Amino acid sequence: MLASRAAAQPAPRVAAIDWAMLETAVTLGVMPIAATELIQFRKDAVEPALGGSVVDLGLRGTPNFELLQLLRPDLILLSPFYTRHQAALKRIAPIVSLPFYIKGEPPFEKATSAVTVLGEHLGRSKEAATALASIENSLIECRSKLERFAIRPTYLVNVGDARHVRVFGADSMFGDVLSRLGLPNAWKERSRYTFAAPVPIEQLADTEDARIVIISEIPVEARSALRNSMIWNSLEPVKRGRVLMLENISPYGGVIAAMRFVRLLSAALVADAEAAQ
Amino acid sequence: MRVAWLVSGGSVLTATALFFLVATQQLPLSDWPRAWSEARTIDEIILVYGMLPRAAVAILAGAALGLSGALLQQLLRNPIADPSTLGISAGAQLAIVIATLFFPDVVDGSRTSVALFGAGVAAAIVFALGWRASFEPVTMIVSGLLVGVTSAAVSAALTLAQGEYLMSLVTWNGGSLSQQDWAVTNALSVELFVACALAALLIRPLLLLGLGDSSARSLGVNLKGVRLGVATIATMLAGVVAANVGLISFVGLAAAAFVRGCGVRRGWAIIALAPLAGGVFLWLCDGLVQAVAGATGETFPTGSVTALVGGPILLWLLPKVRTLSVSAQSNRPDVRVPLSKGIMVFFAILPIIVAIAYFLANTGQGWVVLSLSDAAELAPLRWPRLIAAAGAGGLLALTGAILQRLTGNPMASPEVIGVSGGAGLGFAAALSLVPTAGPYTLAIGAATGGFCAMVAVLAFALRQNMPAGKLLLTGIAVSSLSSSVLAVLMAAGDQRAWQILAWIGGTASAATPATAIFLALLAVTVLGLAMTMIRWLTLFPLGIPTAKSLGVPVGGSRALILALCGLATGAASVLVGPLSFVGLIAPHIAVRAGFITARDHLVASFLLGSMIMAFADFGSRTLTFPYELPLGLFAAMVGAPYLVWLVGRR
Repeated sequence: MLASRAAAQPAPRVAAIDWAMLETAVTLGVMPIAATELIQFRKDAVEPALGGSVVDLGLRGTPNFELLQLLRPDLILLSPFYTRHQAALKRIAPIVSLPFYIKGEPPFEKATSAVTVLGEHLGRSKEAATALASIENSLIECRSKLERFAIRPTYLVNVGDARHVRVFGADSMFGDVLSRLGLPNAWKERSRYTFAAPVPIEQLADTEDARIVIISEIPVEARSALRNSMIWNSLEPVKRGRVLMLENISPYGGVIAAMRFVRLLSAALVADAEAAQ
Repeated sequence: MRVAWLVSGGSVLTATALFFLVATQQLPLSDWPRAWSEARTIDEIILVYGMLPRAAVAILAGAALGLSGALLQQLLRNPIADPSTLGISAGAQLAIVIATLFFPDVVDGSRTSVALFGAGVAAAIVFALGWRASFEPVTMIVSGLLVGVTSAAVSAALTLAQGEYLMSLVTWNGGSLSQQDWAVTNALSVELFVACALAALLIRPLLLLGLGDSSARSLGVNLKGVRLGVATIATMLAGVVAANVGLISFVGLAAAAFVRGCGVRRGWAIIALAPLAGGVFLWLCDGLVQAVAGATGETFPTGSVTALVGGPILLWLLPKVRTLSVSAQSNRPDVRVPLSKGIMVFFAILPIIVAIAYFLANTGQGWVVLSLSDAAELAPLRWPRLIAAAGAGGLLALTGAILQRLTGNPMASPEVIGVSGGAGLGFAAALSLVPTAGPYTLAIGAATGGFCAMVAVLAFALRQNMPAGKLLLTGIAVSSLSSSVLAVLMAAGDQRAWQILAWIGGTASAATPATAIFLALLAVTVLGLAMTMIRWLTLFPLGIPTAKSLGVPVGGSRALILALCGLATGAASVLVGPLSFVGLIAPHIAVRAGFITARDHLVASFLLGSMIMAFADFGSRTLTFPYELPLGLFAAMVGAPYLVWLVGRR
């Protein structure tokens, strides 16, 4: 009964201002008609693949209200980060604003509950339940597959320049997912700057038996300087070749970014272990 | 004298103690010789390739900036000259930002040449601007500020236009001294050695310049050659430091001020001692940063500490700055145009701008004229920002005109009274303290910040005997402090930084019907209030003594006028960001067009400013559709050519 009604409904016209909400909508099988900063999204987040019909709404900081108005969406998706524009957006269409990243709080559970809540808003609770079940399943599956890698702690970093990295702690999406996979995070400190701590690279020397996972590509201008850096090259993990590189993943994403991280990380770990044998 | 020696000795001891405190935590002193001869463990490597070069870089960079500042101060006979106050460091920063965004391969390897190029261009612009005013200190500093503001606006705009939060740029902006090997140390020491040698060759003619141009010429000094040589050395020093460790401001200022404060009076001694003082100063600041980082786990760039110290030093130095009165009469045209004619032109152009704003659109594929129904649908979105932009433009231009008349300085503009700087601090504070700050919270934060800055500037203004030029410097000190705090927050690096960048760039898209109407009403009210001050503003350009003898209450009237300016700038920057240039340019164009009397000048500037901003809003909205460009970038696009033109004319 419910399913037939949902199928009869035309897909709602949704516009996403927030990238994590964009992912959440796609998870529910609703491709937004418009979203912000698509050029950067396709480069940085890669997944989900967006069709050419999705309209680019401009910068996240200053979304193009006029274009949004002309598109006449049924619903606008955002997060509390865009509170500044909330009133203006409300005049165009009803909004749903869900929190993902709150200072010092692990974001994964917020991302999954966003799937449930948005599913209710869009009348797609069934899809929400299916998606969450499959996420749960692949987490359990990967957790047992990666059990043998738990002997080493892992640094999750993103290279800023040749002297600084961002380190993802437990309050980041990657750090949260890492612990859900049963892998210890080598970065124990609370990240004072929530998502990103511009950390000098020598601070990665504290845990010698760790592995270093570099998330997203290294900026072009830092590559040769990092390659020649004395301290980088004398970090135990670098000397012993325990450095893994992952492709671009959105650091402020939702469940799709989280699962992309799970997939890329386990593939890299397994491939590395096989190469070592 | 004895106090001076105590302070000097104490600083050196403290810096050394801090260094050993942090370094021996890394590796006990007894292991150092072994580490030095062959570093194997990670602790040894961090000491030998991280901590020791970091200390060396702090001392060398501090010395380079100290020398650069002392040379500039001697050359310009201006105690507040410094690579950061003259905009040289900001120019280097802009060059690196541009290269990182568009030519990343160039930056990976030739960062220094890029920074030197930017520093050179910025220095050339500031010196060329100062030339006409015979390098009068206030004009030089205001020019430096404008170049700095432009560079910052363009950097912010480009970063935003890229749509990416560029951590490396932001970290670089804050000035981080952390090192991974000795490469930077070697580069800096070679450069410092060359610069010292060149400075030693030029020091005699440079000191002779201090006797006055004609005396120096009669003693056989090649004025142009010496000036060019010294300016080149100082710029080169600043550029190389900027390339290697980022934006570290006020070290040159602090170093030379300290040396003079110790009672050293001779020019050669100041130039010789300033590098030492600069080196110790930066080493001390870096030691503090590292000690705090070790104790609390908070890391922030060393540049932020020097900047926080710099603002107060600037204020302390103000009484020592000589000011010349720049003739405000010089650029007056002879023909006076009646105001009614200007108002007619305004009402003729107004419908055109409104029509363009309502009916012309860029779809991303091309330009189209909207149908009446489409235009009607978009009207509720378009009129608030049009009105807000026009209101802000009018307020800023009016403020600029008032300040230029009040101070007699053609470079005066709203951003130099420090209100927009204070508003920026308040905005950042609201963002930091309230996790999900809405538009009203942010507006209240910015207004509070702007108000505090204004009270601080007013407190200085109320001192009867303070020359008008120094008012500008007070405002600049507040602006510098605010921009350094904003830089720290951005270096701290979370998503808030992105909102701060957006605000600095300026946008009218946050305007709501309520705020737009408020801004428009305020603009008209302020214009009305300014009309009641016409008599004062007519007499002020004639000089303080003349104004006093004609019965103008100098202190009180100045405070009232500044309060009005602060209100106007604060409201404008709260709603649409700290827009630059419209407050500088509009009053100039108005005077050149022939609106000469105080009343005509003010009204014409107001109308012109509102038109410029209304049009800029249209441009920022449509040019790179759907990606919105910051308003500030548009204003800078108009302002930069204007500055060049100002340089070129006699």
